[in-house]
Amino acid sequence: MNRFSVRALAAITAGAFILSACGGGEPAPSAFPGLMVDGNSAYLASNLYVYKFDVQTARLDWQFPASIDNANPRGPFSGVPAKMGDVIIVGGSSGTNGAYDKHVYGLSNQNGQEVWRFTPPEATAREFVAGVVTDGKLVYAPNGDGNLYAFDPAQKDSSNQPKLIWTFSTGNRLWGRPLLADGKLYQGGLDHKLYAIDAATGKQIWQFDKISAPIAAQPALSGGVLYFGAFDSAFYAVNASDGSLKWKTPVGGWVWTDATISNGTVYFGDVQGKLYALDMATGQIQWTYETRDSIKAQPVISGTTLYVVSVDTNVYAFDLNNIKKDATGKVDYNNTKWRNDTIARRLVSEPAVVGDTLLVPVFDGDIKVWALDANTGARKYQFPLAPAATPTPGK
Amino acid sequence: MGNIFDILVVNPMTNVLLLIYDVLFHNYVLAIIVLTVIIRLATLPLTLKQQVSSLKMAAMQPQIKAIQEKYKNDPQKLSEEMRKVGFNPLGGCLPLLVQFPILIGLYNAILRTLAVNPLSLLELGKHIYGFLPNLSSLVPVNSTFLGVLDLGQPDKFFIIPILVIATTYFSTKLTTPPSTDAASKQTNQMMSMMMPVMFGFFMLSAPAGLGVYWIVSNLIGIGQYYLMKPRLDLAKAEHAAAAAGSGASTSVSAPAAPRAKLPPPRSKVKPSSSARIAKPGADNK
Repeated sequence: MNRFSVRALAAITAGAFILSACGGGEPAPSAFPGLMVDGNSAYLASNLYVYKFDVQTARLDWQFPASIDNANPRGPFSGVPAKMGDVIIVGGSSGTNGAYDKHVYGLSNQNGQEVWRFTPPEATAREFVAGVVTDGKLVYAPNGDGNLYAFDPAQKDSSNQPKLIWTFSTGNRLWGRPLLADGKLYQGGLDHKLYAIDAATGKQIWQFDKISAPIAAQPALSGGVLYFGAFDSAFYAVNASDGSLKWKTPVGGWVWTDATISNGTVYFGDVQGKLYALDMATGQIQWTYETRDSIKAQPVISGTTLYVVSVDTNVYAFDLNNIKKDATGKVDYNNTKWRNDTIARRLVSEPAVVGDTLLVPVFDGDIKVWALDANTGARKYQFPLAPAATPTPGK
Repeated sequence: MGNIFDILVVNPMTNVLLLIYDVLFHNYVLAIIVLTVIIRLATLPLTLKQQVSSLKMAAMQPQIKAIQEKYKNDPQKLSEEMRKVGFNPLGGCLPLLVQFPILIGLYNAILRTLAVNPLSLLELGKHIYGFLPNLSSLVPVNSTFLGVLDLGQPDKFFIIPILVIATTYFSTKLTTPPSTDAASKQTNQMMSMMMPVMFGFFMLSAPAGLGVYWIVSNLIGIGQYYLMKPRLDLAKAEHAAAAAGSGASTSVSAPAAPRAKLPPPRSKVKPSSSARIAKPGADNK
């Protein structure tokens, strides 16, 4: 084999490794990070790790797994972590090229060690991309195989795993978190249906099947009405008691954000990048604001400020007492309370407000969370913290 | 740039793929096959042009080598002579370059429509055409084939990677133009072995739906080769004959070039009736 052949062989082999993502480092994420704040601690499920860090100092308390173990791979992780007593619960998620982790992990709040692991019994089980919810006794985990699993971590089955209590099967992937309220679970599915399920028994109470597109958002509940959007570019209000339609409002694109409700208005975004404020009673659009890319994350309200993040990499804050809209209901690009355009990474996950700090999970890159001043949008710190500056010799 | 590529290539393919899926009884494999056939047919003139051009360049190699050797110290004269004999190094590449974005676009369209992970589903949502009714109702596509193969997952039965290797091998073998010197012959041989292995290796971790596209594309390429073979043989013979003719002309106009360095042009071309048609090229001397 001549020298050229050897070089060509080396190049092809390297190309093969790159193509099959066998290179080192953290692969690009393909599911959305989830952030949960409890007191002074923040829990972040992001790509290959789950982190616990201090919201004031950004000091890392622990990460799970402590390091990547190829012999015993865990993750990737996504979705909002849940807390049950002293256990943090996260779901294994979806990775690149269809790879996934089909487990739900219970982690010690103290040190991040695995306390238990739930594996669905179904051979078809896949990823838990949206995270789980819990009522303090059972954990409700929607899976990519279309099943909603309810298990009890306090009881163990024959293989010493948390005991499966019931399984509710739907017709397609479950990529949205259920809403748990008044002993009922409200779960949207990619099978184009919204289900009301008895949380204790797993029996269906009703199903709403008047939508011809997937539902991946977690519904919001207020005054006995469920509010949610779907991929048919419409937003719905459905009576929680019987699943009857109250109103439907067409919007400009797929709705994947969970809705936020405040003072008679429901806020959400669509994948075309538009933020909507709708009258809860009628579904009438009160005002809209256009970002430059998809809105996937649920808007967050603290006091009278509405915070929205967009895939366009910007964070927007609106003063709800001072919304300046034009005759068509549009709020001008510059009529925000503040706008931070310095993150330069896609933003797809719900931020969290802690005091006067807004924690913004970042989809990709080395920085996992940016902490901004909630009043001004100025940067406060990043997580993980930047390495300490090395003194320049001679100065 | 990414946006322009999306708007011009990926988005139309994504939506057309969904439309075909809708028409073909929600069978995703059939949709991939039909879209691949449409694209391969649409790019057929380019494919043909590229293959003819490759053959032409291959047939001209001895002549080009001789010119390069002869004018190695006179770049201006070298480029003049190369132009005179019709040498165009990009002739075979340009059609290929046009096809490349189309193939990348189809690759992305398949990944999006399969929605193998939340990010690809979000991408699909951004780019689905709102003016085409009911496309969103097709989401997520039924990615199961024959009840066992999930097109959004790597094929755990290894059938797709094996078929990718086999079809890529035959396709590469057939469409690689013959080489005239030992070094490029060896490189071609190695490429025809390594390319299939590389793609097969890639398919071990890629969604099987991509493999279906690759297999179909290879099979169409093989079919196209056999359909076009008579025309390619004709072109090959014409160019070889023409090369032989102008190669002799070069040696006459440039006596400094030792004739022995020019390989016998006829030896690379099988005698055929078509070669006789090409004779007038040689009469120019």
